[in-house]
Amino acid sequence: MVNKFLFLAYAFVWLIFILYAWNLSRRQAGLKKELDELKTRVSDSSSAPASRNAGA
Amino acid sequence: MDKKFPISLHFALTLAGLLVALYMIFLYAPEEMTMGEVQRIFYVHVSCAWPALLGFIIIFFSSIVYLWKRAQFADELAHATAEVGFIFCTCVLVTGPLWAKPAWGVWWAWDARLTLTFLLWLLYVAYLMLRSYMVNPGRAANLCAVVGIIGFVDVLIDYMAIRWWRTQHPQPVILGGPESGLDPRMLATLLVTVAVFTLLFFLLVRMRLRLAAMRRELSEIRHVLAFKMSED
Repeated sequence: MVNKFLFLAYAFVWLIFILYAWNLSRRQAGLKKELDELKTRVSDSSSAPASRNAGA
Repeated sequence: MDKKFPISLHFALTLAGLLVALYMIFLYAPEEMTMGEVQRIFYVHVSCAWPALLGFIIIFFSSIVYLWKRAQFADELAHATAEVGFIFCTCVLVTGPLWAKPAWGVWWAWDARLTLTFLLWLLYVAYLMLRSYMVNPGRAANLCAVVGIIGFVDVLIDYMAIRWWRTQHPQPVILGGPESGLDPRMLATLLVTVAVFTLLFFLLVRMRLRLAAMRRELSEIRHVLAFKMSED
């Protein structure tokens, strides 16, 4: 049987690294979504005056 | 950096390295005669302690570069390293007592090495709290740089503590003088595990830096958008 202290030490280290990596990727996904939305807004706002000019 | 050593390759190497390290820790390294299998905590404990110290060394140099050159990247590197270093330092403070209890009979002793490592953890906490709670990012960066430079003194004393004083904490087993030493298989396991955890440390720092770069891009786009709206 595995020593309980040994098990706890390795379980904690694995768990904390997995949780932190998951947290990083979640924050990254959130920022990417926000970035994509803003980029679309910027491209929309730069194409809008051009289309207004074309209409005039 | 991303082109020469892509993050996906870095991830794959770290993962493979972790598997090799686990094999070596549990199957290759011999069991220690007095402590038994609980001594295997040593490999993960030391391997987390090295990046925890390395983290503050990087913060120290990045802080100097930031204060001197006002380089945004240096500040981002210090912040990213502080976050990852904090994780490693927490692992040291958890695995240490889990090893101390069966080995010494107590969870904790206020000796020089343990106290200074706890102080290092508090420095990481202080650094991250300053980042989180200060409203002005410029002032937070300046203040954190000062904490990063002053806190480095703790790293130096922490590293030397077991060489300068006789402490409850064991004396160094490598680079510790003529009486120090390890079984060759234990030494190989330790070196591989330390190398792999260093790889893991830099992988997490790179991931955290990518986050900082995305935040920077986001704020630039917001500025462009605000400028366009004010023009309209």
